[in-house]
Amino acid sequence: MGNKQTIFTAQQLDAYQDCTYFTRKEILRLFYRYRDLAPQLVPLDYTNHPDVKLPYELIGSMPELKDNPFRQRIAEVFSEDGEGNMTLDDFLDMFSVLSEMAPRDLKAYYAFKIYDFNDDDFICKSDLEKTLNKLTRNELTEDEVRMVCEKVIDEADLDNDGRLSLEDFQHMIVRAPDFLSTFHIRI
Amino acid sequence: MAMEIQRQDSGVWDDSEDNGSPGDRQSLRLRRVSSQVTQKNYPQFSWSVTPTETDREGPRGSQRDIRTLPMPMALKRAVRQVQQMQVPVVSRMDSWKRKKTKVLLKLKDDAMEILSFFTLWNKSLQMIGGNFGGGVQSYFLFLRFLVILNFISFLLIAGFVLIPSIVFSSVGTSFLVLNSTGLENCTKYDPNPQGLVAFYKYLLDVVSGTGFMEYSYLFYGYYNNTVVEDSDFSYNIPLAYVFTAVFYFAFCLICIIARMGTAARVAVATGGSTVSNYSITVFTAWNYGCLGDTATTLQQKNLHYQLQVDLEEERIKKQAAALTSKEKVVLYSVRVLMGFLALGLIIAAFYCIFLATNFSQQKSGTSGIQGLIWDYLPSIVITAANFMVPLLCDQIAVIERYAPSTTVIVALLRAVFLRLVSLGVLLFTLWSQITCDGDTNTGDCKLCQYNHNLYPCWETRIGQEMYKLTLFDLLTNIAVLLLVEFPRRIVVDHWSSKLARWVGRQEFEVPLNVLGLVYGQTVVWTGALFCPLLPAINTIKFIILFYCKKATLFHNCRPAQKTFRSTTSSFFFLMVLLFGWSLATLVLIYSLSEIQPSLGCGPFSFFPSMWSVVANTFYKLPTVTREFLFFIGSQAFSIPLFVLSCVVMCYFAALFSVHGKNVALLRAQLKLEGRDKQFLVKQIVELSRRLQTLHHSAGEEESI
Repeated sequence: MGNKQTIFTAQQLDAYQDCTYFTRKEILRLFYRYRDLAPQLVPLDYTNHPDVKLPYELIGSMPELKDNPFRQRIAEVFSEDGEGNMTLDDFLDMFSVLSEMAPRDLKAYYAFKIYDFNDDDFICKSDLEKTLNKLTRNELTEDEVRMVCEKVIDEADLDNDGRLSLEDFQHMIVRAPDFLSTFHIRI
Repeated sequence: MAMEIQRQDSGVWDDSEDNGSPGDRQSLRLRRVSSQVTQKNYPQFSWSVTPTETDREGPRGSQRDIRTLPMPMALKRAVRQVQQMQVPVVSRMDSWKRKKTKVLLKLKDDAMEILSFFTLWNKSLQMIGGNFGGGVQSYFLFLRFLVILNFISFLLIAGFVLIPSIVFSSVGTSFLVLNSTGLENCTKYDPNPQGLVAFYKYLLDVVSGTGFMEYSYLFYGYYNNTVVEDSDFSYNIPLAYVFTAVFYFAFCLICIIARMGTAARVAVATGGSTVSNYSITVFTAWNYGCLGDTATTLQQKNLHYQLQVDLEEERIKKQAAALTSKEKVVLYSVRVLMGFLALGLIIAAFYCIFLATNFSQQKSGTSGIQGLIWDYLPSIVITAANFMVPLLCDQIAVIERYAPSTTVIVALLRAVFLRLVSLGVLLFTLWSQITCDGDTNTGDCKLCQYNHNLYPCWETRIGQEMYKLTLFDLLTNIAVLLLVEFPRRIVVDHWSSKLARWVGRQEFEVPLNVLGLVYGQTVVWTGALFCPLLPAINTIKFIILFYCKKATLFHNCRPAQKTFRSTTSSFFFLMVLLFGWSLATLVLIYSLSEIQPSLGCGPFSFFPSMWSVVANTFYKLPTVTREFLFFIGSQAFSIPLFVLSCVVMCYFAALFSVHGKNVALLRAQLKLEGRDKQFLVKQIVELSRRLQTLHHSAGEEESI
């Protein structure tokens, strides 16, 4: 079907297919979703690798993301510049990791990055507090937040440094049966 | 210092970030998270294929691994290019396979979406879950499960018993053979009302199942022992009746166990409800696919409730653990005492029911409103007992001071015991009257092997009792709704006084409501053999109940202050339901095999027991089938089968324990490795500090 399209070269499409969990059709569909966010910025011809970045405000206004309390972190983690402004590559990568075909370790890696608010490669207490507040819309009291953070670190921190490293996180994810289905955005 | 060490730890990917100055906001993904695991997985920067975890194997296994690498797209493309230079042939077969699996997955997804559109009350359940928490939602999920179960049972019964009865009533031959002449009195059964019937009598008949309702498809007495035998088609109504009843019970058992299996699997997979609960809730409970503002808010509220439940349990546990031994002794003796008190209350209730049923039987036959009241006396007493005793037990539970989830379980167990055994008492009383206290050769029972004076058609009578119980249950629920809950809300809202504020809006009591459902379902199961349309009536009753309970929940109740854990609760509800099912099965087995069916009505008029129909038909089967079935039932087959299943169970138990030990061992190892790492890091810091001081002193010496 995609033989007649002129957006990507055949090699580009093949590369995308190999590097993401999408088929040709889906990649093209995602391209059109990307373009719909800002038709005047995104050209219809990607064969010469144009350098187009959509600002975070447009990405965050997508219906799949606009109500998610973690949308800013998601955009920051997957964007090249770390600010949430995404190229098409970042866009495809983001939805590829969040699709249902992505394996658990890959998702756990990115989930860890999303919850690591201060980007120090560890989920410390302040990161946990921010996560909790986003999860419950600030409705937990200070005491409750503190208790939950203590409990989480108690349960998951295996190397006893008071914060969660990637291994701790991945080890905990192994025991969560529905992580694969919750860390999933359908697009 | 620490940063450098981290960089050394994390392997070579970090080289890419050295280009930018530390001040720039770097790409988060290029900055690899430092981890020992990655050290093992990506040892050298040789672009070689790294065996990461792959979910599916494929012919081009190496090529697939790119997608599992957590790198930005540009890097992945570069890796891919290098790999392509190494691997000359790219197979197309694999991409077709992948496309196929993708298409199948998408189809399955679309099918699930369409199904969820048709799933009953999906939106309502979501709203309830968001506003009142998982515990209340589990009650409504349970109710929905029962509605669907009853509906399918009704289809089953209608298809195999009701519709053939209607169709073949004019076609088939029904035989009423009198084996001996002395039994004419036994066959006298005339439920049709004579002469002019007053208008209000119709209403009374509908409510108590007598009169025009008695001799209808509603009750056992109307069905005939029609046997249709055509050249190529035969249908034996009595046989169908028995088999449908048995299959109905088996079907319900399978549904309950299947549902228990899914609930148990979740409970086991999470390794028990107490391990890693908080971390899993915080990190994996958020559904990223949730769209819309309302859904998101609901989810947030849900999570809030869940965390509150867990925290409260913790608090209570801490309190309980902090008691001195003297306080503990006092507490335990108080608990034992209260337990006896609760038991005493329950036994008192049983005695009242026994008395009421006997009295009602004595007074049966009086007409008018008084007759109605005497008829309904057992139901009234049962409902009153089921209302009063749990209230008193609640107050007892306050003195007992168990943890919240234990309190709930204890209250539920007591209420289960009360409700289901009171039903048993009612059935026992009926039985003792039908079979003259079990001795079928005395007094009234001598002629027909059952008490034909009181009960010319005893199956219909039991069916009527169950029908009355079901109706009365529904009426009580609606009456409580209208007369207690709505007024309470109105009073509390509009009359601000201390009393009103103390009473407050009510909470939705999940365990007691669930018990009401289990009780209703048990009544239906018990009565299904004698009142084939009871599942249909029950479906309608439960649907009405759903909407009534939803209305009262949203208008009259406040969110629970005593939060209720929902993870293990669905499993527990199904256990209780199973207990009710086994009670009904006992009744079924006893009625099928022991009691003489009524001679004046029903499809089993002249069989010694209902099960003998099956035995008779069995002997008409061809020899081969008969021999085969005999063999399956014989010891030569069942004992080896039993031994084999024991062996298989032992094997699985051993496997399970070995895995458990393995997991514990690995977890301990992980902890040790973590400590090792910390120790080594400290050593490195120490060494580099010493090295620095050495350099310092060496430098000073040189400069001197």
